[in-house]
Amino acid sequence: MSSSHAHSAHPPSAVEDLSKPLHERYHAASHFKDREHEFDSVKMGVWLFLATEILLFSGMFCAYFIFRLMHPEAFIGGGHHLEVKWGLINTIVLLMSSYWVAAAVRHAQTGNQKWLQINIILTFFAGAAFLFIKFFFEYWHKIQVGLLPGKFYHYTGHADPYEPMWWGVYWGATGIHASHVIVGMGLFAWLYFRSRKGHFGPGHYNAVEGVGLYWHIVDIVWIFLFPLLYLIH
Amino acid sequence: MSHAAEFDEYGHKDHGHVIVSVFTLRFILIALLFCTLLTSGSAWAETAIAATFHVEIPQWINAFVALSIAVVKTALVVGFFMQLKYDNPMNTIIFVFTLLTVASFLGFTSLDLGNRDTIDRFKNVYAYPGGNGLDGGGTGIVFQSQINGVGKPAPHGEVEEKKVDESQDITHMGYLPEEPELGSSRNRSRPVMGITISTLPGYRSPAAADEGHAPAENLAPSKDHRPEPARPSDDHKPGAAETKGEPKH
Repeated sequence: MSSSHAHSAHPPSAVEDLSKPLHERYHAASHFKDREHEFDSVKMGVWLFLATEILLFSGMFCAYFIFRLMHPEAFIGGGHHLEVKWGLINTIVLLMSSYWVAAAVRHAQTGNQKWLQINIILTFFAGAAFLFIKFFFEYWHKIQVGLLPGKFYHYTGHADPYEPMWWGVYWGATGIHASHVIVGMGLFAWLYFRSRKGHFGPGHYNAVEGVGLYWHIVDIVWIFLFPLLYLIH
Repeated sequence: MSHAAEFDEYGHKDHGHVIVSVFTLRFILIALLFCTLLTSGSAWAETAIAATFHVEIPQWINAFVALSIAVVKTALVVGFFMQLKYDNPMNTIIFVFTLLTVASFLGFTSLDLGNRDTIDRFKNVYAYPGGNGLDGGGTGIVFQSQINGVGKPAPHGEVEEKKVDESQDITHMGYLPEEPELGSSRNRSRPVMGITISTLPGYRSPAAADEGHAPAENLAPSKDHRPEPARPSDDHKPGAAETKGEPKH
């Protein structure tokens, strides 16, 4: 690791020391100068992707902003249907998972395979817990009483006539966020199976880093959704 | 273990891989959890204070506190968990540029939202609040007026009135059409008294208008600026009916 040229993209010698773990034998793709070059490029690529993710969610925040200004009563009324308790628990779950991801990156950097895998598993189950709370305690009840977006709305209780707008924003924003959590869980399962094969270590952990950055952005979106949907009234 | 102390062949410090210490990560986690409790606690406290002391705390305070804490949390996550503090500055530039894009996105939207009346007042005597998504979804502001134009009532038949000030009369002078045409959304922007406008949603009879915001007086600048010939059903105004009736007797 001291010299990056030791891992240059030149074809490996015919005799390769197969006793070394995979992450040490890793060669950067041929269009990169070396591992460092690849790492920097991959990370910047992930950041560019995250920029598009931020813009995707900003559309939802913009819809929230406009409709809240147009129909404040509908948004206040709709917000009272949500239980702060579940939003708070889910926020804590996601913050813990963000810590576990950051720790996973650290363990990959230091080559601690056991704790790398444990942290990946913990993050996976944190995502599962988030979705369980979301679907079982929140979505399920709203589907049953008809608090659904747009034309699917058939709630019979007292409500502002424009409350379907609120539910459109709620389901749109939390639904797209939840689908990101599902994708993230798939990525962590993939990371787990690769880490069991010893793919990640001090010299090569691009995938852990990239998936970690993605997971943090999902967490940040929830950091904004939680006050906007549950707390502002 | 950290690479921060190593120098590359050009004598530069290797800034690529910083290993954030366990202490830092745990400290950030605790700070994030604390901020989460703070934001929930402040929302709860505002409700409790308002109920106990019978004061009304403006909504913007609630929103400002909650969003400020969210921004602080985001800065902690981005700076330490995502390691932007230690990272290649190019990634920070990408992130900041994205935030500026989002800011202009929200900024131009709010400019539009806040100024529709002043720019296009002629069409906004009645401002359509848009559909509520129930009517098959997606009946937007423009489409809504088209629906109304062919006589189908809006989902809830609601049309909001906006008050018109004096200066709007001047705006109207060059813009009002000579002949009101039914079936066009243009006519919905002002009350056309005396024609079968009562079939259209949002119409308020002069009797109702007298009690309310009186749109008949406020919204009909044409009466002041451009006297029109007697219109078919002006007779529901007591004064108009008498003046019309007199010559016949």
